[in-house]
Amino acid sequence: MKRYFRLYLHFLQFSFSKAMEFRLDFTFRIIMDFIYYVVNILLFKVLFLHTNLIGGWTEEQMMIFIASYLLVDAINMTIVATNLWWFPAYINRGDLDYYLIRPVSPLFFLSLREFSANSFMNVVLAGTFFIYSIASYSEPFTLFQLMGLFALLINGFFIYYCIQMLMVIPVFWTQSPRGFIDLFYSLGIAMERPDRIFKGWLRVLFTVILPFALIASYPAKFFIEGLEAIDLLHIASVSIGLGLLLFFIWKKALRSYSSASS
Amino acid sequence: MNWWRFVVANEFRKILAFRSDFWVTFIGQTVVMVLIARALWQSIFEANGTEVMEGFTLPMMTLYYIIVPLANKIMTGENVGFLSREIYDGSFNRYLIYPISFFQYKILTYLTHSVFFSVQLILIFCVFNLIVGHGLSVELLINLFFGIFIFLCAACVYCMLAMSVELISLWADNVWSLMVMIRFFVFFFGGSYLPLDFFPSWANALLKFTPFPHLISLPIRTTMGLATTTEIVTGLGSLFVWGIIFTMTAKKMWAAGEHRYNGVGI
Repeated sequence: MKRYFRLYLHFLQFSFSKAMEFRLDFTFRIIMDFIYYVVNILLFKVLFLHTNLIGGWTEEQMMIFIASYLLVDAINMTIVATNLWWFPAYINRGDLDYYLIRPVSPLFFLSLREFSANSFMNVVLAGTFFIYSIASYSEPFTLFQLMGLFALLINGFFIYYCIQMLMVIPVFWTQSPRGFIDLFYSLGIAMERPDRIFKGWLRVLFTVILPFALIASYPAKFFIEGLEAIDLLHIASVSIGLGLLLFFIWKKALRSYSSASS
Repeated sequence: MNWWRFVVANEFRKILAFRSDFWVTFIGQTVVMVLIARALWQSIFEANGTEVMEGFTLPMMTLYYIIVPLANKIMTGENVGFLSREIYDGSFNRYLIYPISFFQYKILTYLTHSVFFSVQLILIFCVFNLIVGHGLSVELLINLFFGIFIFLCAACVYCMLAMSVELISLWADNVWSLMVMIRFFVFFFGGSYLPLDFFPSWANALLKFTPFPHLISLPIRTTMGLATTTEIVTGLGSLFVWGIIFTMTAKKMWAAGEHRYNGVGI
Protein backbone atom coordinates (compact mmCIF):
# COMPACT_ATOMS: atom_id res chain seq x y z
CA MET A 1 0.00 0.00 0.00
CA LYS A 2 2.83 2.35 0.98
CA ARG A 3 4.64 1.49 -2.24
CA TYR A 4 1.55 2.42 -4.29
CA PHE A 5 1.21 5.67 -2.40
CA ARG A 6 4.85 6.57 -3.09
CA LEU A 7 4.38 5.63 -6.74
CA TYR A 8 1.33 7.88 -6.97
CA LEU A 9 3.31 10.79 -5.57
CA HIS A 10 5.75 10.27 -8.43
CA PHE A 11 2.86 10.33 -10.89
CA LEU A 12 1.75 13.65 -9.42
CA GLN A 13 5.20 15.16 -9.65
CA PHE A 14 5.61 14.03 -13.26
CA SER A 15 2.13 15.25 -14.28
CA PHE A 16 2.58 18.74 -12.80
CA SER A 17 5.94 19.27 -14.48
CA LYS A 18 4.46 18.02 -17.78
CA ALA A 19 1.47 20.39 -17.49
CA MET A 20 3.77 23.35 -16.84
CA GLU A 21 5.58 22.69 -20.13
CA PHE A 22 2.42 23.55 -22.08
CA ARG A 23 1.24 26.64 -20.24
CA LEU A 24 -1.11 27.90 -22.95
CA ASP A 25 -2.88 24.54 -23.10
CA PHE A 26 -2.96 24.50 -19.30
CA THR A 27 -4.83 27.82 -19.29
CA PHE A 28 -7.16 26.86 -22.15
CA ARG A 29 -8.22 23.70 -20.38
CA ILE A 30 -9.08 25.56 -17.21
CA ILE A 31 -11.20 28.00 -19.23
CA MET A 32 -12.80 25.11 -21.12
CA ASP A 33 -13.92 23.38 -17.94
CA PHE A 34 -15.10 26.68 -16.52
CA ILE A 35 -17.31 27.18 -19.59
CA TYR A 36 -18.62 23.63 -19.17
CA TYR A 37 -19.67 24.47 -15.61
CA VAL A 38 -21.30 27.73 -16.64
CA VAL A 39 -23.22 26.02 -19.47
CA ASN A 40 -24.52 23.37 -17.06
CA ILE A 41 -25.69 25.95 -14.55
CA LEU A 42 -27.24 28.12 -17.28
CA LEU A 43 -29.15 25.14 -18.69
CA PHE A 44 -31.00 24.62 -15.43
CA LYS A 45 -31.36 28.37 -14.84
CA VAL A 46 -33.17 28.62 -18.20
CA LEU A 47 -35.34 25.60 -17.39
CA PHE A 48 -36.31 27.15 -14.06
CA LEU A 49 -37.63 30.18 -15.94
CA HIS A 50 -40.43 27.86 -17.08
CA THR A 51 -41.03 25.64 -14.07
CA ASN A 52 -40.68 25.64 -10.28
CA LEU A 53 -39.74 22.00 -9.88
CA ILE A 54 -37.54 19.58 -11.80
CA GLY A 55 -37.62 16.00 -10.59
CA GLY A 56 -39.27 17.26 -7.41
CA TRP A 57 -36.46 19.69 -6.60
CA THR A 58 -36.53 23.46 -6.36
CA GLU A 59 -33.84 25.65 -7.94
CA GLU A 60 -31.67 25.86 -4.81
CA GLN A 61 -31.92 22.09 -4.29
CA MET A 62 -31.05 21.59 -7.93
CA MET A 63 -27.94 23.77 -7.47
CA ILE A 64 -26.71 21.33 -4.81
CA PHE A 65 -27.28 18.48 -7.24
CA ILE A 66 -25.49 20.32 -10.10
CA ALA A 67 -22.57 21.15 -7.82
CA SER A 68 -22.41 17.48 -6.81
CA TYR A 69 -22.14 16.11 -10.33
CA LEU A 70 -19.73 18.85 -11.40
CA LEU A 71 -17.50 17.94 -8.47
CA VAL A 72 -17.55 14.23 -9.38
CA ASP A 73 -16.86 15.12 -13.00
CA ALA A 74 -13.93 17.38 -12.02
CA ILE A 75 -12.42 14.66 -9.82
CA ASN A 76 -12.84 12.15 -12.63
CA MET A 77 -11.26 14.50 -15.19
CA THR A 78 -8.34 15.06 -12.83
CA ILE A 79 -7.61 11.53 -11.72
CA VAL A 80 -8.67 9.03 -14.38
CA ALA A 81 -10.21 10.50 -17.56
CA THR A 82 -6.94 11.28 -19.36
CA ASN A 83 -5.61 7.79 -18.63
CA LEU A 84 -8.69 6.07 -19.95
CA TRP A 85 -8.67 8.30 -23.03
CA TRP A 86 -5.32 6.80 -24.05
CA PHE A 87 -6.21 3.28 -22.94
CA PRO A 88 -7.42 2.01 -26.38
CA ALA A 89 -4.18 3.18 -27.97
CA TYR A 90 -2.12 1.10 -25.50
CA ILE A 91 -4.10 -2.02 -26.39
CA ASN A 92 -4.09 -1.45 -30.15
CA ARG A 93 -0.40 -0.61 -30.36
CA GLY A 94 0.64 -3.41 -28.05
CA ASP A 95 2.01 -0.90 -25.51
CA LEU A 96 0.18 -2.69 -22.72
CA ASP A 97 3.16 -5.08 -22.62
CA TYR A 98 5.20 -2.44 -20.81
CA TYR A 99 2.57 -2.16 -18.11
CA LEU A 100 2.15 -5.89 -17.68
CA ILE A 101 5.81 -6.53 -16.94
CA ARG A 102 6.01 -3.89 -14.19
CA PRO A 103 5.81 -5.06 -10.58
CA VAL A 104 2.60 -3.12 -9.89
CA SER A 105 -1.03 -3.74 -10.71
CA PRO A 106 -1.53 -2.84 -14.41
CA LEU A 107 -5.05 -1.63 -13.63
CA PHE A 108 -3.66 0.78 -11.02
CA PHE A 109 -0.92 1.96 -13.35
CA LEU A 110 -3.15 2.42 -16.40
CA SER A 111 -5.95 4.14 -14.49
CA LEU A 112 -3.90 6.57 -12.40
CA ARG A 113 -0.58 7.19 -14.14
CA GLU A 114 -1.48 10.60 -15.53
CA PHE A 115 -2.85 13.11 -13.05
CA SER A 116 -4.43 15.98 -14.99
CA ALA A 117 -2.94 19.02 -13.28
CA ASN A 118 -5.05 21.53 -15.22
CA SER A 119 -8.26 19.76 -14.26
CA PHE A 120 -7.12 19.92 -10.66
CA MET A 121 -7.68 23.66 -10.86
CA ASN A 122 -11.23 22.82 -11.88
CA VAL A 123 -11.70 20.64 -8.82
CA VAL A 124 -11.02 23.85 -6.92
CA LEU A 125 -13.60 25.70 -9.05
CA ALA A 126 -16.21 22.94 -8.74
CA GLY A 127 -15.44 22.65 -5.03
CA THR A 128 -16.02 26.38 -4.58
CA PHE A 129 -19.37 26.14 -6.35
CA PHE A 130 -20.20 23.10 -4.20
CA ILE A 131 -19.44 25.02 -0.99
CA TYR A 132 -21.42 28.02 -2.27
CA SER A 133 -24.48 25.93 -3.11
CA ILE A 134 -24.39 24.29 0.35
CA ALA A 135 -23.78 27.60 2.15
CA SER A 136 -26.64 29.34 0.35
CA TYR A 137 -29.11 26.47 1.00
CA SER A 138 -31.95 27.93 3.03
CA GLU A 139 -33.05 24.70 4.81
CA PRO A 140 -31.28 23.63 8.03
CA PHE A 141 -28.96 20.62 7.76
CA THR A 142 -26.70 18.60 10.05
CA LEU A 143 -23.03 17.69 9.83
CA PHE A 144 -24.11 14.07 9.35
CA GLN A 145 -26.02 15.04 6.19
CA LEU A 146 -22.99 16.92 4.87
CA MET A 147 -20.55 14.11 5.63
CA GLY A 148 -22.97 11.60 4.13
CA LEU A 149 -23.20 13.65 0.95
CA PHE A 150 -19.44 13.81 0.70
CA ALA A 151 -18.97 10.08 1.34
CA LEU A 152 -21.63 9.17 -1.21
CA LEU A 153 -20.01 11.46 -3.79
CA ILE A 154 -16.68 9.66 -3.32
CA ASN A 155 -18.56 6.42 -3.86
CA GLY A 156 -20.19 8.10 -6.90
CA PHE A 157 -16.75 8.76 -8.33
CA PHE A 158 -15.90 5.07 -7.90
CA ILE A 159 -19.11 4.09 -9.75
CA TYR A 160 -18.30 6.59 -12.51
CA TYR A 161 -14.82 5.13 -12.88
CA CYS A 162 -16.12 1.55 -13.02
CA ILE A 163 -18.70 2.31 -15.72
CA GLN A 164 -16.14 4.27 -17.73
CA MET A 165 -13.62 1.44 -17.51
CA LEU A 166 -16.25 -1.12 -18.48
CA MET A 167 -16.96 0.95 -21.61
CA VAL A 168 -13.29 1.04 -22.59
CA ILE A 169 -12.34 -2.57 -21.89
CA PRO A 170 -14.21 -3.97 -24.96
CA VAL A 171 -11.28 -2.56 -26.96
CA PHE A 172 -9.47 -5.79 -26.05
CA TRP A 173 -11.89 -7.62 -28.34
CA THR A 174 -12.96 -4.98 -30.89
CA GLN A 175 -9.54 -3.30 -31.40
CA SER A 176 -11.42 -0.11 -32.22
CA PRO A 177 -9.73 3.27 -31.73
CA ARG A 178 -11.97 4.54 -28.92
CA GLY A 179 -14.02 1.65 -27.60
CA PHE A 180 -17.41 2.78 -26.36
CA ILE A 181 -16.07 5.90 -24.69
CA ASP A 182 -18.21 8.19 -26.88
CA LEU A 183 -21.25 6.21 -25.82
CA PHE A 184 -20.14 6.57 -22.20
CA TYR A 185 -19.98 10.36 -22.49
CA SER A 186 -23.44 10.41 -24.10
CA LEU A 187 -24.86 8.17 -21.39
CA GLY A 188 -23.14 10.37 -18.82
CA ILE A 189 -26.01 12.85 -19.25
CA ALA A 190 -28.02 10.47 -17.07
CA MET A 191 -25.73 11.47 -14.20
CA GLU A 192 -26.67 15.10 -14.80
CA ARG A 193 -30.40 14.55 -14.33
CA PRO A 194 -32.29 13.98 -11.04
CA ASP A 195 -33.10 10.28 -10.66
CA ARG A 196 -36.79 10.92 -9.98
CA ILE A 197 -37.42 11.74 -13.64
CA PHE A 198 -36.56 8.15 -14.60
CA LYS A 199 -39.46 5.74 -14.41
CA GLY A 200 -40.08 2.08 -15.29
CA TRP A 201 -37.30 0.18 -17.03
CA LEU A 202 -35.33 3.40 -17.58
CA ARG A 203 -35.09 3.68 -13.80
CA VAL A 204 -33.82 0.11 -13.57
CA LEU A 205 -31.27 0.91 -16.28
CA PHE A 206 -29.88 4.00 -14.53
CA THR A 207 -30.03 2.76 -10.96
CA VAL A 208 -28.90 -0.85 -11.41
CA ILE A 209 -27.45 -1.75 -14.82
CA LEU A 210 -25.67 1.51 -15.65
CA PRO A 211 -26.09 3.21 -12.27
CA PHE A 212 -25.45 6.82 -13.31
CA ALA A 213 -28.24 7.96 -11.00
CA LEU A 214 -26.29 6.73 -7.97
CA ILE A 215 -23.33 9.00 -8.75
CA ALA A 216 -24.74 12.41 -7.81
CA SER A 217 -28.52 12.24 -7.66
CA TYR A 218 -28.75 9.80 -4.73
CA PRO A 219 -26.07 11.65 -2.73
CA ALA A 220 -27.90 14.95 -3.31
CA LYS A 221 -31.15 13.25 -2.32
CA PHE A 222 -29.48 12.02 0.88
CA PHE A 223 -28.55 15.61 1.75
CA ILE A 224 -31.84 17.21 0.73
CA GLU A 225 -34.46 14.64 1.79
CA GLY A 226 -32.59 11.78 3.43
CA LEU A 227 -32.44 8.22 2.13
CA GLU A 228 -34.09 5.05 3.44
CA ALA A 229 -31.81 2.24 4.70
CA ILE A 230 -32.87 0.22 1.67
CA ASP A 231 -31.54 2.95 -0.65
CA LEU A 232 -28.17 2.97 1.12
CA LEU A 233 -28.07 -0.82 0.88
CA HIS A 234 -28.88 -0.50 -2.81
CA ILE A 235 -25.99 1.95 -3.35
CA ALA A 236 -23.59 -0.32 -1.45
CA SER A 237 -24.59 -3.50 -3.26
CA VAL A 238 -24.51 -1.91 -6.72
CA SER A 239 -21.08 -0.36 -6.01
CA ILE A 240 -19.61 -3.65 -4.77
CA GLY A 241 -21.21 -5.56 -7.65
CA LEU A 242 -19.83 -3.10 -10.19
CA GLY A 243 -16.34 -3.29 -8.67
CA LEU A 244 -16.40 -7.09 -8.78
CA LEU A 245 -17.70 -7.07 -12.35
CA LEU A 246 -14.91 -4.71 -13.41
CA PHE A 247 -12.29 -6.93 -11.76
CA PHE A 248 -13.71 -10.06 -13.40
CA ILE A 249 -13.91 -8.51 -16.88
CA TRP A 250 -10.46 -6.98 -16.53
CA LYS A 251 -8.98 -10.43 -15.78
CA LYS A 252 -10.86 -11.91 -18.73
CA ALA A 253 -9.71 -9.08 -21.01
CA LEU A 254 -6.07 -9.55 -20.03
CA ARG A 255 -6.33 -13.23 -20.93
CA SER A 256 -7.49 -12.32 -24.44
CA TYR A 257 -4.81 -9.65 -24.95
CA SER A 258 -2.73 -10.73 -27.92
CA SER A 259 0.06 -8.17 -27.48
CA ALA A 260 0.27 -7.75 -31.26
CA SER A 261 -0.39 -4.24 -32.47
CA SER A 262 -3.14 -3.47 -34.97
CA MET B 1 -9.91 13.70 -62.61
CA ASN B 2 -12.52 12.35 -60.26
CA TRP B 3 -10.21 12.25 -57.24
CA TRP B 4 -13.05 13.25 -54.96
CA ARG B 5 -14.78 9.91 -55.56
CA PHE B 6 -11.82 8.02 -54.13
CA VAL B 7 -11.63 10.36 -51.16
CA VAL B 8 -15.33 9.94 -50.39
CA ALA B 9 -15.18 6.15 -50.75
CA ASN B 10 -12.15 6.02 -48.48
CA GLU B 11 -13.86 8.15 -45.81
CA PHE B 12 -16.95 5.93 -45.87
CA ARG B 13 -14.71 2.91 -45.41
CA LYS B 14 -13.07 4.60 -42.41
CA ILE B 15 -16.42 5.46 -40.81
CA LEU B 16 -17.62 1.88 -41.14
CA ALA B 17 -14.31 0.19 -40.31
CA PHE B 18 -15.41 -0.81 -36.79
CA ARG B 19 -19.00 -1.75 -37.38
CA SER B 20 -19.92 -3.16 -33.98
CA ASP B 21 -18.64 -0.03 -32.24
CA PHE B 22 -20.30 2.17 -34.79
CA TRP B 23 -23.77 0.67 -34.47
CA VAL B 24 -23.69 0.28 -30.68
CA THR B 25 -22.59 3.91 -30.33
CA PHE B 26 -25.09 5.18 -32.89
CA ILE B 27 -28.09 3.35 -31.46
CA GLY B 28 -27.00 3.89 -27.87
CA GLN B 29 -26.38 7.60 -28.30
CA THR B 30 -29.58 8.27 -30.21
CA VAL B 31 -31.97 6.11 -28.21
CA VAL B 32 -30.61 6.80 -24.73
CA MET B 33 -30.22 10.54 -25.25
CA VAL B 34 -33.80 10.78 -26.49
CA LEU B 35 -35.10 8.76 -23.55
CA ILE B 36 -33.21 10.91 -21.03
CA ALA B 37 -34.39 14.15 -22.64
CA ARG B 38 -37.96 12.87 -22.84
CA ALA B 39 -37.91 11.83 -19.17
CA LEU B 40 -36.71 15.31 -18.19
CA TRP B 41 -39.32 17.14 -20.24
CA GLN B 42 -42.09 14.78 -19.19
CA SER B 43 -41.35 15.66 -15.56
CA ILE B 44 -41.38 19.39 -16.41
CA PHE B 45 -44.66 19.12 -18.34
CA GLU B 46 -46.18 17.17 -15.44
CA ALA B 47 -44.88 19.62 -12.84
CA ASN B 48 -46.47 22.48 -14.78
CA GLY B 49 -49.67 20.55 -15.50
CA THR B 50 -49.62 21.65 -19.12
CA GLU B 51 -49.46 19.99 -22.52
CA VAL B 52 -47.78 22.79 -24.46
CA MET B 53 -44.72 24.81 -23.49
CA GLU B 54 -43.36 27.54 -25.75
CA GLY B 55 -45.17 25.92 -28.68
CA PHE B 56 -43.77 22.46 -27.98
CA THR B 57 -45.83 19.42 -27.01
CA LEU B 58 -44.12 16.35 -25.52
CA PRO B 59 -44.13 14.39 -28.86
CA MET B 60 -42.63 17.46 -30.60
CA MET B 61 -39.99 17.68 -27.90
CA THR B 62 -39.23 13.98 -28.43
CA LEU B 63 -38.74 14.51 -32.16
CA TYR B 64 -36.55 17.54 -31.41
CA TYR B 65 -34.24 15.43 -29.24
CA ILE B 66 -34.22 12.61 -31.80
CA ILE B 67 -32.80 15.07 -34.33
CA VAL B 68 -30.35 16.78 -31.93
CA PRO B 69 -27.63 14.08 -31.63
CA LEU B 70 -27.52 13.69 -35.41
CA ALA B 71 -27.67 17.45 -35.93
CA ASN B 72 -24.58 17.75 -33.73
CA LYS B 73 -22.82 15.06 -35.73
CA ILE B 74 -23.76 16.51 -39.12
CA MET B 75 -22.49 19.92 -38.10
CA THR B 76 -19.28 18.77 -36.47
CA GLY B 77 -18.46 16.35 -39.32
CA GLU B 78 -15.06 14.89 -38.56
CA ASN B 79 -14.05 14.89 -34.94
CA VAL B 80 -12.07 17.51 -33.02
CA GLY B 81 -8.45 17.50 -34.19
CA PHE B 82 -9.17 16.67 -37.84
CA LEU B 83 -6.44 19.11 -38.85
CA SER B 84 -4.38 19.94 -35.76
CA ARG B 85 -3.59 16.27 -35.06
CA GLU B 86 -1.85 16.01 -38.44
CA ILE B 87 0.02 19.24 -37.89
CA TYR B 88 1.27 18.02 -34.52
CA ASP B 89 2.41 14.60 -35.71
CA GLY B 90 3.88 15.86 -38.97
CA SER B 91 1.58 13.80 -41.23
CA PHE B 92 0.30 17.08 -42.65
CA ASN B 93 3.25 16.79 -45.07
CA ARG B 94 1.19 14.66 -47.43
CA TYR B 95 -1.17 17.52 -48.24
CA LEU B 96 1.76 19.59 -49.37
CA ILE B 97 2.76 16.99 -51.95
CA TYR B 98 -0.74 16.02 -53.13
CA PRO B 99 -1.55 17.55 -56.52
CA ILE B 100 -4.82 18.88 -55.09
CA SER B 101 -5.83 21.77 -52.85
CA PHE B 102 -5.46 20.99 -49.16
CA PHE B 103 -8.58 23.06 -48.44
CA GLN B 104 -10.69 21.18 -50.98
CA TYR B 105 -9.47 17.83 -49.65
CA LYS B 106 -10.20 18.68 -46.04
CA ILE B 107 -13.63 20.14 -46.78
CA LEU B 108 -14.50 17.04 -48.77
CA THR B 109 -13.50 14.60 -46.03
CA TYR B 110 -15.36 16.73 -43.49
CA LEU B 111 -18.53 16.88 -45.56
CA THR B 112 -18.41 13.15 -46.29
CA HIS B 113 -18.95 12.59 -42.57
CA SER B 114 -21.76 15.15 -42.55
CA VAL B 115 -23.47 13.48 -45.52
CA PHE B 116 -23.16 10.08 -43.85
CA PHE B 117 -24.85 11.37 -40.69
CA SER B 118 -27.51 13.08 -42.83
CA VAL B 119 -28.42 9.68 -44.27
CA GLN B 120 -28.79 8.39 -40.70
CA LEU B 121 -31.03 11.35 -39.91
CA ILE B 122 -33.24 10.65 -42.93
CA LEU B 123 -33.55 7.04 -41.83
CA ILE B 124 -34.40 7.86 -38.21
CA PHE B 125 -36.79 10.68 -39.14
CA CYS B 126 -38.73 8.37 -41.48
CA VAL B 127 -38.82 5.50 -38.96
CA PHE B 128 -40.05 7.87 -36.20
CA ASN B 129 -42.85 9.25 -38.35
CA LEU B 130 -43.93 5.77 -39.40
CA ILE B 131 -43.90 4.55 -35.78
CA VAL B 132 -45.97 7.45 -34.42
CA GLY B 133 -48.41 7.04 -37.29
CA HIS B 134 -47.81 10.34 -39.11
CA GLY B 135 -46.83 8.44 -42.26
CA LEU B 136 -44.55 10.01 -44.85
CA SER B 137 -46.54 12.82 -46.40
CA VAL B 138 -45.13 15.00 -49.18
CA GLU B 139 -45.03 17.94 -46.76
CA LEU B 140 -42.90 15.99 -44.26
CA LEU B 141 -40.50 14.92 -47.00
CA ILE B 142 -40.18 18.48 -48.33
CA ASN B 143 -39.41 19.74 -44.80
CA LEU B 144 -36.86 16.95 -44.41
CA PHE B 145 -35.24 17.82 -47.74
CA PHE B 146 -34.92 21.53 -46.86
CA GLY B 147 -33.76 20.63 -43.36
CA ILE B 148 -30.96 18.42 -44.71
CA PHE B 149 -29.97 21.14 -47.16
CA ILE B 150 -29.62 23.69 -44.32
CA PHE B 151 -27.82 21.11 -42.16
CA LEU B 152 -25.21 20.69 -44.90
CA CYS B 153 -24.86 24.47 -45.33
CA ALA B 154 -24.37 24.72 -41.55
CA ALA B 155 -21.77 21.93 -41.73
CA CYS B 156 -19.83 23.92 -44.36
CA VAL B 157 -19.87 27.03 -42.15
CA TYR B 158 -18.85 25.11 -39.03
CA CYS B 159 -16.12 23.34 -41.02
CA MET B 160 -14.61 26.72 -41.88
CA LEU B 161 -14.94 27.89 -38.26
CA ALA B 162 -13.30 24.66 -37.07
CA MET B 163 -10.55 24.99 -39.67
CA SER B 164 -9.75 28.55 -38.53
CA VAL B 165 -9.38 27.32 -34.96
CA GLU B 166 -7.51 24.11 -35.86
CA LEU B 167 -4.98 26.17 -37.82
CA ILE B 168 -4.01 27.93 -34.59
CA SER B 169 -2.08 24.70 -34.00
CA LEU B 170 0.60 26.19 -36.27
CA TRP B 171 1.35 28.56 -33.39
CA ALA B 172 0.00 26.90 -30.22
CA ASP B 173 0.89 23.59 -28.53
CA ASN B 174 -2.66 22.35 -28.28
CA VAL B 175 -5.98 23.53 -29.68
CA TRP B 176 -8.15 20.64 -28.54
CA SER B 177 -9.49 22.58 -25.58
CA LEU B 178 -10.26 25.59 -27.79
CA MET B 179 -12.30 23.40 -30.12
CA VAL B 180 -14.20 21.87 -27.21
CA MET B 181 -14.93 25.36 -25.88
CA ILE B 182 -16.41 26.34 -29.23
CA ARG B 183 -18.53 23.22 -29.21
CA PHE B 184 -19.94 24.10 -25.78
CA PHE B 185 -20.93 27.52 -27.09
CA VAL B 186 -22.37 26.22 -30.36
CA PHE B 187 -24.32 23.41 -28.70
CA PHE B 188 -25.73 25.58 -25.92
CA PHE B 189 -26.50 28.74 -27.89
CA GLY B 190 -27.39 26.73 -31.00
CA GLY B 191 -30.20 24.83 -29.29
CA SER B 192 -28.73 21.35 -28.74
CA TYR B 193 -29.36 21.36 -25.02
CA LEU B 194 -32.83 22.83 -25.23
CA PRO B 195 -34.91 24.59 -27.91
CA LEU B 196 -34.02 28.28 -28.17
CA ASP B 197 -37.72 29.15 -27.74
CA PHE B 198 -37.11 28.56 -24.01
CA PHE B 199 -34.41 31.22 -23.84
CA PRO B 200 -35.49 34.71 -22.69
CA SER B 201 -36.51 36.94 -25.62
CA TRP B 202 -33.56 39.34 -25.04
CA ALA B 203 -31.16 36.39 -25.38
CA ASN B 204 -32.80 35.28 -28.63
CA ALA B 205 -32.60 38.83 -29.97
CA LEU B 206 -28.85 38.88 -29.24
CA LEU B 207 -28.25 35.39 -30.61
CA LYS B 208 -29.63 36.40 -34.01
CA PHE B 209 -26.41 38.35 -34.56
CA THR B 210 -24.28 35.24 -33.97
CA PRO B 211 -23.98 32.13 -36.19
CA PHE B 212 -25.09 29.78 -33.38
CA PRO B 213 -28.89 29.55 -33.88
CA HIS B 214 -28.48 29.08 -37.64
CA LEU B 215 -26.11 26.15 -37.17
CA ILE B 216 -28.41 23.87 -35.17
CA SER B 217 -31.77 25.38 -34.27
CA LEU B 218 -32.68 26.57 -37.79
CA PRO B 219 -32.12 23.23 -39.58
CA ILE B 220 -33.91 21.33 -36.80
CA ARG B 221 -36.88 23.70 -36.92
CA THR B 222 -36.95 23.40 -40.70
CA THR B 223 -36.88 19.59 -40.55
CA MET B 224 -39.74 19.67 -38.05
CA GLY B 225 -41.71 22.09 -40.21
CA LEU B 226 -41.65 24.85 -37.58
CA ALA B 227 -39.55 27.42 -39.42
CA THR B 228 -41.24 30.16 -41.44
CA THR B 229 -40.06 31.07 -44.96
CA THR B 230 -38.67 34.37 -43.66
CA GLU B 231 -36.77 32.53 -40.94
CA ILE B 232 -35.28 30.13 -43.50
CA VAL B 233 -34.29 32.86 -45.95
CA THR B 234 -32.72 35.14 -43.34
CA GLY B 235 -31.06 32.14 -41.70
CA LEU B 236 -29.52 31.01 -44.97
CA GLY B 237 -28.37 34.58 -45.65
CA SER B 238 -26.75 34.70 -42.24
CA LEU B 239 -25.05 31.33 -42.81
CA PHE B 240 -23.74 32.62 -46.13
CA VAL B 241 -22.24 35.73 -44.52
CA TRP B 242 -20.70 33.76 -41.63
CA GLY B 243 -19.41 31.21 -44.12
CA ILE B 244 -17.55 33.94 -46.01
CA ILE B 245 -16.16 35.40 -42.77
CA PHE B 246 -14.88 32.03 -41.54
CA THR B 247 -13.50 31.03 -44.96
CA MET B 248 -11.56 34.28 -45.22
CA THR B 249 -10.29 33.82 -41.66
CA ALA B 250 -9.15 30.26 -42.41
CA LYS B 251 -7.41 31.36 -45.64
CA LYS B 252 -5.66 34.22 -43.84
CA MET B 253 -4.62 31.87 -41.03
CA TRP B 254 -3.20 29.41 -43.50
CA ALA B 255 -1.38 32.14 -45.44
CA ALA B 256 0.13 33.46 -42.23
CA GLY B 257 0.97 30.09 -40.69
CA GLU B 258 2.00 28.01 -43.70
CA HIS B 259 5.67 28.89 -43.36
CA ARG B 260 5.69 28.05 -39.68
CA TYR B 261 4.96 24.40 -40.41
CA ASN B 262 8.21 22.47 -40.05
CA GLY B 263 6.99 19.05 -41.16
CA VAL B 264 8.53 17.34 -38.14
CA GLY B 265 5.71 17.41 -35.63
CA ILE B 266 5.96 17.68 -31.85
